[in-house]
Amino acid sequence: MDLTLSSDQEMLVDSARRFLTRSWPAEAVRAAETSADGHDPKAWSEAAGLGWPGLCLPAEHGGSGAGMVELALLAEELGRAAFSSPLLAQTTLVALPLAWEGNAAQRTRWLPALAGGELIGSAALVAPGARDERSSPPLEGRRSGDGWVLSGSRVLVPFAAVSSLLVVLADLEGAGVSMLVVEAERIAALSRQQALGGDPMYAVSFHGTVVGTGDVIGRPGSGAALFARALDHATVASVSYGVGLGERALELSVSHACDRHQFGRPIGSFQAVAHRCVDMRADLDAARWLARQAAWALDKAGASGESAAPAGAPAAVAGASGESAAPAGALEVAAAKAYANDALRRVFLNAHQVHGAIGFSLEHDLQLFTRRAKAFELSLGDTAQHRGRVAEAMGLGRSR
Amino acid sequence: MDFELTEEERRFREDLQRLLAQELPEWWRGMFVEDERVMPFTKRFCSELAERGWLTMAWPPEHGGQGASVWQQAVLREEMWAADEPRGPQYMNLNYIGPLIMRFGTDAQKSRFLPPMARGEVIWCQGFSEPEAGSDLASLRTRAVADGDRFVINGQKVWTSYADSPAEWCLLLARSDPEAEKHRGISVFLLDMATPGVTVRPIATMAGPHEFNEVFLDDVVVGRDCLLGELHRGWDVVVTGLTFERVGIARYARAGRVIEMLVEHVRRTGRDSEPEVMDKLADLRVRYEAARLLNYVAISIQARGEVPTTEASVARIHNTQLEQLVGHVGLELLGAAGQLTHDDPASPLGGEIWRQWVRNIPTTVAAGTLEIQKNIVARALGLPRPA
Repeated sequence: MDLTLSSDQEMLVDSARRFLTRSWPAEAVRAAETSADGHDPKAWSEAAGLGWPGLCLPAEHGGSGAGMVELALLAEELGRAAFSSPLLAQTTLVALPLAWEGNAAQRTRWLPALAGGELIGSAALVAPGARDERSSPPLEGRRSGDGWVLSGSRVLVPFAAVSSLLVVLADLEGAGVSMLVVEAERIAALSRQQALGGDPMYAVSFHGTVVGTGDVIGRPGSGAALFARALDHATVASVSYGVGLGERALELSVSHACDRHQFGRPIGSFQAVAHRCVDMRADLDAARWLARQAAWALDKAGASGESAAPAGAPAAVAGASGESAAPAGALEVAAAKAYANDALRRVFLNAHQVHGAIGFSLEHDLQLFTRRAKAFELSLGDTAQHRGRVAEAMGLGRSR
Repeated sequence: MDFELTEEERRFREDLQRLLAQELPEWWRGMFVEDERVMPFTKRFCSELAERGWLTMAWPPEHGGQGASVWQQAVLREEMWAADEPRGPQYMNLNYIGPLIMRFGTDAQKSRFLPPMARGEVIWCQGFSEPEAGSDLASLRTRAVADGDRFVINGQKVWTSYADSPAEWCLLLARSDPEAEKHRGISVFLLDMATPGVTVRPIATMAGPHEFNEVFLDDVVVGRDCLLGELHRGWDVVVTGLTFERVGIARYARAGRVIEMLVEHVRRTGRDSEPEVMDKLADLRVRYEAARLLNYVAISIQARGEVPTTEASVARIHNTQLEQLVGHVGLELLGAAGQLTHDDPASPLGGEIWRQWVRNIPTTVAAGTLEIQKNIVARALGLPRPA
């Protein structure tokens, strides 16, 4: 047990923070938000130059071979800067599934280009009206010759307009639920949506898109498990990004509480204000370590191909009968997201209260983070859903 | 970054669990119960641990310890606290009173006081709080007046845990220089509780016996050989001691054990698939994970030989509130029967959930209130001091 960073991990964090401070000030966030496609190609190519899109991909496909722990550390820094990019979704929902189960042709064709940042990939997972990614019914695939014709559409697809490939989940007639990679040219239509978070979001129609077995990642019909694994990775990365958003909100709050004077004193000298900042610190530290633990559990499960034992839990809890039946890392991932959803809500309530009226203005940077934190909470599963997963991993809910 | 205990540490946990299964009597419910078997049992249990070398395993070898890793110590603390602390009041000796004597004591004090602690034979209490000195501990008024090679002490202590166990010794704070700035005029004394002039009066609390006492000191004479650390520099000892104390108790481990009891209870009563029940237990489990990890963050810093002041306070903020929440939610899950106290034969789970609730009412007050912990973190965030 050692919850400190290795020197390599420290270097990753330091270099990310230095790059983002220099190249991604709040003006860049605002510029990306008001641009046509929400994408900053210069920042993306610089990020690619730092090796970020390939951070967790295997070395033989042009990646650095690091793990989810490293991606989580990087994501904290990205969140702290409100860095807008397809990086996290591309890594966890497109590149990693291809690396895990893609065939040789798919890996050769896509992974080096994704790792190098020359291609952008995204995932189209939310059905219109669905609660979230996990609850969305898959697209329908009707048999047609050697392949299938898709029907259905997805919403809230990030960076779709600049993506060369999209990952989808489809129920293929005769084969079952499968994860597919679809080139952008084959998409029927896409249209920009107005979403609160800041990342560019699109509605994408897949009506009439033709796919074949060569587009399926892994075995046809094995998509549900692969999708669940990819979503867990995406969830952890998003929690770490969310922690970074909260970190910046805390920095802004402390700075405001030191500078702003009322009654002849800095407002941070009032305990009522100071303790809100401390509550933010306590919430963020908990969310950060829950996410890092989940990342570690996913790395361990991936490396061993078997269930990771819950880390250092006293046997009283870890040994509760039935707990080990849950998929590797499920409890840790769900715990992180369940906690972080509520924690970020509290963190941003506190941040706005400390800032007073100025935090509500568009001219202040806080709102950039507030909106992204709300988008985080509304993506990849709400608190109730993730608590349900924790409960199942605890062995509850069996008598239904 | 590694979230896993070593094979050796896991085996040590299993050894401890075997010992607990073997040694804990069926009636054991912790030390705050009206039962004269309790304190003698804790001493027997400490001797048993001492025989195996586990009582002072965290201490350096020159004081009879084994220099165990901080993670072995963490495992020991978890298993002990989860089992309602069968070491009784002596956990304080091991966690910080002993280490303070090692750090600040003379050679004579070390050889006089540490061996009985290492054998598990002596109960200490801590004379810090006073009626007018709680969070503002440095304003304490108990006076120690130098008189040749001895001190004469007069004053009153309050909320002194375990003084009526009975404790044989007390780590006592008193004002030795009333003229100096308040942090600069305090000294620490090692007081034999059998000294004439010491009177212990238990305070009846919601939680049961031994929890708290008043201690009256009337012309109590203490030799200079029982002054710990430099005269008037006792505040340094206090600050070090409080940091030890904050990571000294694995509170989350007891919460984890109670969560497990609740899971079994809702299974037995057929409520384990009610969505609200699942939601509440999952929330407790998530907060337990958070509290445990934040303790491990503080311990990881200790393992590097650094002092985790801020991290220990953040961990304590989570731990203490988790302990309270587990009691509240636990009683809620028991429903109306949750009103039955531990001495009612129909009390669900033998009154353990009642006990979890009632014992933790003062948890966010002891060893530095929640607000004091938050003040510590506020300073670390760089916020200005209150006026």
